[in-house]
Amino acid sequence: MHGTHPQTGERRFDVEGITRVEGEGSLRLVVRDGQVTEAQLAIFEAPRYFEQLVVGRTQDEVLDIVARICGICPVAYQMSAVHAFEDLAGITAEPAVRSLRRLLYCGEWIESHALHVYLLHAPDFLGCANAVELAALDRGAVERGLALKKAGNRIVAVLGGRPIHPVSVRVGGFSKVPTKRELQAMRPDLEAALGHALGTVDWVSTFVAPDFEREERFVSLRHPTEYPMSDGRIVSSDGLDLAPTDWEAAFHEEQVPWSHALQAHMGDRIPYLLGPAARITLAADQLHPLARAALDRIGLADAIRRNPYWSIAARAIELVHAVAEALDIVDGYVPPDRAAEPWKPRPGTASWATEAPRGLLFHHYEVDERGRIATAKIVPPTSQNQAAIEADMTSFAPAILDEPHDVATHHLEQLIRSYDPCISCATHFLDLTVEAAR
Amino acid sequence: MVIPSSVDPGFLPRAGLDRLLDLLTADGRRVIGPTISQGAVVYDEIHRAADLPSGWTADQAPGSYRLRSTGTDRQFDYAVGPTSWKHETFPPRVPLTIGRRVNGQVTFEDAVPVAPLVAFLGVRGCEIAALLTQDTVLARGPAVDRDYAARRAAALVIAVECVTPADTCFCTSMGTGPEVTAGFDLAMTELDDGFVVRAGSPAGERLLERLELSPADEARTSAARSAVAAARELMGDPVPTGGLPARLSAAAESPRWAEIAERCLACANCTLVCPTCFCTSVTQVSDLDGLEATAERTWDSCFTLGFSRVAGGNFRPRVQDRYRQWLTHKFATWWDQFGSSGCVGCGRCITWCPVGIDVRAELLAVAPPPTELSDATTQIIGVPGPERIEAVPGPTTPALLTAMTPLSDAVESPTYSRAFVAERRRETVDTVTIRFDTDDPDLLAGRPGQFVMAALPAFSAAPISVSRFHPDGLELTIRAAGAATRAMCGLRRGDSLGLRGPMGRGWPVDAAEGHDVVIVTGGIGLAPLRPLVDALFAERTRFREISLLYGARSPSDRLYVEELSELAARPDLDVGQIVDRAGPDWFGRVGVVTSLFDQRHLDGSKAVAFVCGPERMMTATVDVLRDRGVTDDRIFVTLERHMECGVGLCGHCQLGKAFVCRDGPVFSLAEMGPAFGREGL
Amino acid sequence: MTGAVRAMIASRPRLGIMKFASCDGCQLTILDLEDQLLDLLTRFDLVEFAEASSYRSSGPFDVVLVEGSVSTPEQAEEIVRIRRETPLLVTIGACATAGGIQALRNWADHDAYRAAVYAHPEYVESLATSTPISDHVAVDGELRGCPIDPGQLLELLTALTVGRRPQLPDESVCLECKRRGTVCVLVTGSGPCLGPVTHTGCGALCPAYARGCYGCFGPREGANGASLATWFKRDGRTDADTARLFAGFTAYAPPFRSVIDSLGGPPIASDQGEDA
Repeated sequence: MHGTHPQTGERRFDVEGITRVEGEGSLRLVVRDGQVTEAQLAIFEAPRYFEQLVVGRTQDEVLDIVARICGICPVAYQMSAVHAFEDLAGITAEPAVRSLRRLLYCGEWIESHALHVYLLHAPDFLGCANAVELAALDRGAVERGLALKKAGNRIVAVLGGRPIHPVSVRVGGFSKVPTKRELQAMRPDLEAALGHALGTVDWVSTFVAPDFEREERFVSLRHPTEYPMSDGRIVSSDGLDLAPTDWEAAFHEEQVPWSHALQAHMGDRIPYLLGPAARITLAADQLHPLARAALDRIGLADAIRRNPYWSIAARAIELVHAVAEALDIVDGYVPPDRAAEPWKPRPGTASWATEAPRGLLFHHYEVDERGRIATAKIVPPTSQNQAAIEADMTSFAPAILDEPHDVATHHLEQLIRSYDPCISCATHFLDLTVEAAR
Repeated sequence: MVIPSSVDPGFLPRAGLDRLLDLLTADGRRVIGPTISQGAVVYDEIHRAADLPSGWTADQAPGSYRLRSTGTDRQFDYAVGPTSWKHETFPPRVPLTIGRRVNGQVTFEDAVPVAPLVAFLGVRGCEIAALLTQDTVLARGPAVDRDYAARRAAALVIAVECVTPADTCFCTSMGTGPEVTAGFDLAMTELDDGFVVRAGSPAGERLLERLELSPADEARTSAARSAVAAARELMGDPVPTGGLPARLSAAAESPRWAEIAERCLACANCTLVCPTCFCTSVTQVSDLDGLEATAERTWDSCFTLGFSRVAGGNFRPRVQDRYRQWLTHKFATWWDQFGSSGCVGCGRCITWCPVGIDVRAELLAVAPPPTELSDATTQIIGVPGPERIEAVPGPTTPALLTAMTPLSDAVESPTYSRAFVAERRRETVDTVTIRFDTDDPDLLAGRPGQFVMAALPAFSAAPISVSRFHPDGLELTIRAAGAATRAMCGLRRGDSLGLRGPMGRGWPVDAAEGHDVVIVTGGIGLAPLRPLVDALFAERTRFREISLLYGARSPSDRLYVEELSELAARPDLDVGQIVDRAGPDWFGRVGVVTSLFDQRHLDGSKAVAFVCGPERMMTATVDVLRDRGVTDDRIFVTLERHMECGVGLCGHCQLGKAFVCRDGPVFSLAEMGPAFGREGL
Repeated sequence: MTGAVRAMIASRPRLGIMKFASCDGCQLTILDLEDQLLDLLTRFDLVEFAEASSYRSSGPFDVVLVEGSVSTPEQAEEIVRIRRETPLLVTIGACATAGGIQALRNWADHDAYRAAVYAHPEYVESLATSTPISDHVAVDGELRGCPIDPGQLLELLTALTVGRRPQLPDESVCLECKRRGTVCVLVTGSGPCLGPVTHTGCGALCPAYARGCYGCFGPREGANGASLATWFKRDGRTDADTARLFAGFTAYAPPFRSVIDSLGGPPIASDQGEDA
């Protein structure tokens, strides 16, 4: 059912398949007497049971398997897992290996953010249904976005063989590390990408976003000296500060009947938000100077914090950061003595959190005597963001109730899109037909 | 045989290697030589002597290769590794032609070979033999691979004799090493403190002079000789090669092939590490609209399923067929084709087989040497296959090693010329006959039974028999069996396509002189026979009775229907037609083509037969012809095989000792011997 | 709109890109053809591609690319519906062509799997198996890989526009490995490798990155997995180790499946892999 109920006056806003998001989800909003009675982001992606698929596997095999949770951010899954396993094995990667891991992650951030900014999100601001229409309006912009995306993909491909599901990350390091020359060969592309990233910041700063202010509660990693990416402590805008391995002490997951993604909450059912806006809010001081300067120049730091639509600017700033950091790593690269540290499996608990393009990604494994996985728990950013997205929908809806129904529905879909939900990730596991409203 | 040199051998101290490298670099040569990479000794660019694998060797066994430190400072103390020089002389991918198509008009441009000067450092005896073997295949005609010839001419060969053979080596059996006797510019033998160096060519002599070495003293030259002799001793003679080709052809139906296939992965590694394997395919790299495409010569292998595939079937569907093809080609039919063994005994196929299949053991098992034979096997081998009566090559240096003729004055493979659609006639639901205008004198001079390679840019080229010759053009009858032929069938009047040819050997019209002529054909098989009929009628009096027996699946599957009616009306020709399934308008016979023989008198002793059709139809026809007393030397068939190049360079169409494209497609049964009708060839 | 423009649009094939159970990586590969994307999109009328466009269509189509495996009752119905709407259906990626990594559950107790992940398994409707599209409807072509290779995808799309047969050889990974000059990792002892029995298309990636192939393009024609498994055993690997190697992203493809079964199955939750 869609629209206004003739007897009850209840209005329903349904988007059965949200487009331009990764994976399959729908949204439902039920409004009665001007009050939102239900706001549901339903994730009906088919369950794939990853946490079971890794049981009995070696830790190196897990790195290959968890990548398949998501085609957009496979590196993030590899990074959380590999750091967890190395932590358990007592290995500290040598600095060059650590830099290469960050470079790989920068590649994924660039590819994922460029995809979202240009192909998925910007069309909303410019009244287009897709990037093809956007290209008809402004081909140069789309070409700039594709060039950025390509530069990010190239980094991942140089380090890991291919942009999607790279193959080189191993416990202890890499199966193979690049030569200095291979990294230098990317330099011209990265220099051009830096110009494109700065151009992206300028471009999105001219967009007009709907007015909306949300309740702010952000969570991200924080590292003493680096912009949050591969390690650091978990911090929040309301003062939380804990080791990444202690995620479960402050957060918990629960299943809601309308979603195949488990929802995560902080403490006593408190929604919280992860991702670019959270990182910029909690760690703007650690942005690369070029990114920091760009943020100051456009003056949108507050808007990024308050208005979810401005997440596009947060991604643009992070594009600058990731390209600039990638250039720094390329320039300072001295190949490590060996591609991987030798290691021996040890039983115990392996857990870690890293910053996926969409936010904090927590992994927790129990490892048995043979070094095989006994249990696994993987908490992707989108499942953590679900509750906050639903809360934002609830507070946003009253402002658009006077709009024609399809316009209002479109606004809601855009709101969802601004969070860059990664539904394949969020789904622990398909189609859910339960309708809570009935 | 050692080529005498006017410059005496010198001694190059180990520290002097960099001077050699400097000279080569100064000559503008890139030096390729052994270096340690990816856990193996591989050939790559060498800048300084320090890049060489000093102090390394490798332990090799079937399916296993492990680097090992020797603790010495010797730089060439290993046996050959996974790479071979063909990576340089015959790279995995090379552009052949660039085709373009605009408004129905095609152009083809041959890629210009790029062959910068190189020096190969550390070439072993077996590897020189491999280079010379590929020279014969690719650069000594009848057709020449231009890219190979250019690269080979640009390479200076600096041999280093092997003194540390691996357990997988058997150059001694194949007569290719470890001594280096010919085919080099410089040859070095490594001693503890340096190298004895001798020249093998004028270029080598000049280089040796510029090195300004002190003469190698007797102690050193003798130490060098004994080191190589010790290597020979170490290897022994693991593969007795006496009569090997005959032994292998006698073993064509050995149960061992199926047993090997249980282990063989058909992964093609053996053929790709082999320094002589030369099979390639042509791949098309096109733009989004298919308006421009580069055809690339790409390494392929007789172990892939696609290699022997044709529209509607595959000649070597089983792994046992493919293994037998490879082994018998390497050790037996290569002699027929190129006058040498295709194997140089380097052992790469043994080490790099992922499941350790050892070709030495398989040879002994499939074709045991005479001394180990049981009585039963002796009897089989006592009757050698008809194609191998003469040669019983032993472990001698292949003839080619002594004959270093300059690379090639041989004929280059023809390039594409343009032909224009003049007339187009539909024959059946999927077949058309197109008359093309051409002014290419080679094409116009074609003979009945020859074919052309027809190409449209972005599509793979297709071999198509000429179905009629005209003074100013030719006809092709094309069945839309795949994408390329479908596109050709769609050509309109005035459009062009590229033709290369004529290819192959046609019908021996003269062999029919004074004889009765029986032409038996089925389906589209009539097309290559139509020029033969034209030729017979052009000089009708040279031949006696002529019969044309034609079978088709249904009346509407027949080609040239009107022409057939006209021919049938002629008094000097007997036309028989038959179909598998009659239609409402068919009043003729129904059945298989061989039943047309039932009502016909055929004096086999006076007849010559020409047969073309599906392989099964030809086998049945041959049975009838033999029954009627037609001898194998008077039965001619034309064969279909996968073809990519049309000139005997790509390896696809091999059938026993023949390249169907070059040696056929027309063969007499006597020439084919037991190969005719054999499954999986 | 002039008649000529209308004719041009009409000649652009209506392309649909659909997703079943998957990670989105294969459809993302389309967007990863950055250099050709805008040109490609002028040659096709992209009527359904939810990941990248807000236009939706339920058919009819001229070509449909399907990503993902069938793992819910709805998907089993949907693929039959899509098949009726298109004359040309091409499956893309290991999930669609072999069932994907999630097909490992085909060996397991599905209810136990569901219960281990969800507190309320009754809310989650999924089939006990994850199966390739070809188990449900006829498929006209396939691109292998986890994910598919951008070069092969471009070759498929180019071939579709030009009207030729795409060049997608069914040969072992080894050929490409040798063409690019990579030393065999299996023979040098750098790790077990499924390259000899695996379908080509990735460009022989893993060995170039100093590790064995893990078979993500699935078994090639006539894959002799049994012989390779026997060799691994001679080389000192346990059956369980070898079973785990084959039990990857294309585990459920028949030739690999039979190897896995002959070695005692994959390390699923109900059977912890007896190889200590």
